[in-house]
Amino acid sequence: MGFNPLEHGGIPLERQIRSWRELNVAPIDADHCDPYTRCRIITMNGIEVEAILFNHHLARHCSDLDLKRQLAQVRYTEAQQQKAVNWLLPGVSSVLETTIAYEQVAVDLTAWVARMEPDPYLAQAYRFGVLEDFDHLYRYANLFEMIEHRKAESIVDGLTEVMPGRPTTRHHRHPVDNVRESYDRRAANPLSKLHALTIMAAEQQTMNFYMNTGPTYVEPIARQLYQEIGLIEEEHVTHYESLVDPGESWWEMLVNHEYNECYLYHSFMEQESDPKVKAIWELHLNMELEHLRLACDLLRAKDGREPQEILAPELPNVLTFEPNKTYLRDLIADELDLTTLGTGYVREAHERFQQMQEAFLGGESAPSDQVIDMHRDMLGREYRMETEGPHPVAAMRER
Amino acid sequence: MTGTATPDVDAGTGMPSPDQDVVALLMAQHGEIRNLFDEVEQSEGDQRRDAFRGLVRMLAVHETAEEEVVHPYARRSVEGGAQIVDERLEEERKAKELLARLDGMDPADERFMPLLQELRTAVTEHARAEERYEFAQLRRIHDQGALATMAQAVKAAEATAPTHPHPGVESGAENVALGPIAAIADRARDAIRKATGKGR
Repeated sequence: MGFNPLEHGGIPLERQIRSWRELNVAPIDADHCDPYTRCRIITMNGIEVEAILFNHHLARHCSDLDLKRQLAQVRYTEAQQQKAVNWLLPGVSSVLETTIAYEQVAVDLTAWVARMEPDPYLAQAYRFGVLEDFDHLYRYANLFEMIEHRKAESIVDGLTEVMPGRPTTRHHRHPVDNVRESYDRRAANPLSKLHALTIMAAEQQTMNFYMNTGPTYVEPIARQLYQEIGLIEEEHVTHYESLVDPGESWWEMLVNHEYNECYLYHSFMEQESDPKVKAIWELHLNMELEHLRLACDLLRAKDGREPQEILAPELPNVLTFEPNKTYLRDLIADELDLTTLGTGYVREAHERFQQMQEAFLGGESAPSDQVIDMHRDMLGREYRMETEGPHPVAAMRER
Repeated sequence: MTGTATPDVDAGTGMPSPDQDVVALLMAQHGEIRNLFDEVEQSEGDQRRDAFRGLVRMLAVHETAEEEVVHPYARRSVEGGAQIVDERLEEERKAKELLARLDGMDPADERFMPLLQELRTAVTEHARAEERYEFAQLRRIHDQGALATMAQAVKAAEATAPTHPHPGVESGAENVALGPIAAIADRARDAIRKATGKGR
């Protein structure tokens, strides 16, 4: 029998506040940590940022003062959780180093979700997106070696390959074509709802990170690359958020958020290799169980519904960070040339796509291509890490 | 890394060139130092001994070049430069103490790797502090000529102690003859003074 968060009590809300001293966590070691520990930290930071922002939006729609106070209380502890989690990242890491870790998250998290997603339309959305994150990793890895003279394998550690995916220039689609159809909240598998929330939150955090840290760079190519990829993160947030059924009530959305946090902390607690980090996942799971209980009470009081009507009877199989190399190579071979048209996918470049390409690229070489050319000029080769053989698409092998 | 100014860039790559920009050069050396730590950690026996000699050479030359070239310029030219540089020198002093202790130790000694980790932490934190608090200020001054002149001096120092001597170009005996940290630093200092036209 799996873990059912509805059957476990958590830490009472009034006992959840930590002092600054307790929040002063020891960061992980940038050079020796398990890369997937860093991926779990980055993921949970994105999840907590979404929890905070969602709760703020909900509170702005509440006129009941007592309810606003309860939301403020929960939200404050979510903010403390975000601090404890994100401050596990070490101060010695550069923005670019952290960026490469963000892209490793995007690749291996999205690939795992695509593999496990039961709904074919949703699975297609993840397969489509992951090939773009995969290419971003390759572009940033080339920038990293040019600026910091380090190879991205010192960060991703051979767990994730670094080579071209769908070329970044082809991610610039007309905004209209980034809107997908949503799942149906009444018919969707509960796991599908968790997947959509998780990937949406992760991409939203990536968007926020690039939009704020990009201009801290001096090198013109770095500034330009963060701008270009930052705009694609906007597309990705649009793509993934439109998968969530907008017909869910605020209270249903709140329950789904809290349940997803329980799911992810539980998953990461099960697989964490760093004992200090594992202790944080466990503590936060026990906090989230209480947040979930409170959200379920609100669902009953406001919507007159039982949480069992919208949630699974137990947590799904743990969400796992693991290499997805073969899966990604097969996807690259099969689905690299897709783009979107309306809410679907096509293989040929259509008129609206071409117009957007012309408007954004203007027939010039974009920063994402320039970075590879510059790397080649500077070091006589590209940066790639192809551990499983040559690139699956012959035309994309290094010249 | 932070900063608001756009530096002059190499026409070919659009990047600040390590030949023309001392900040780009020192950042490249910071990356190289991190790579050398990886090499020491990932090797065994004689290979670890060689990798460690490479690291010692790089650190000695790099720190000497910063002390002789970059810190004095920052002290003179940056607002609050004296304090910024004093803090960096204090970090360097701590790292040097650790390096000196390691230098007298056999890499096979069981105390070697824990001490190497201490050194790595000290060096990495010092490097990031330089990038964020000192180098960012240097670029804000917008004196491309000074950045280029300093780059030449640092390169002259770098040439006195290659981290990976090519077999045949430099014999094993000459490699050993590079000697202790102080001698490496002396040679680097001489090369810098020659390059900048200052006598001893």
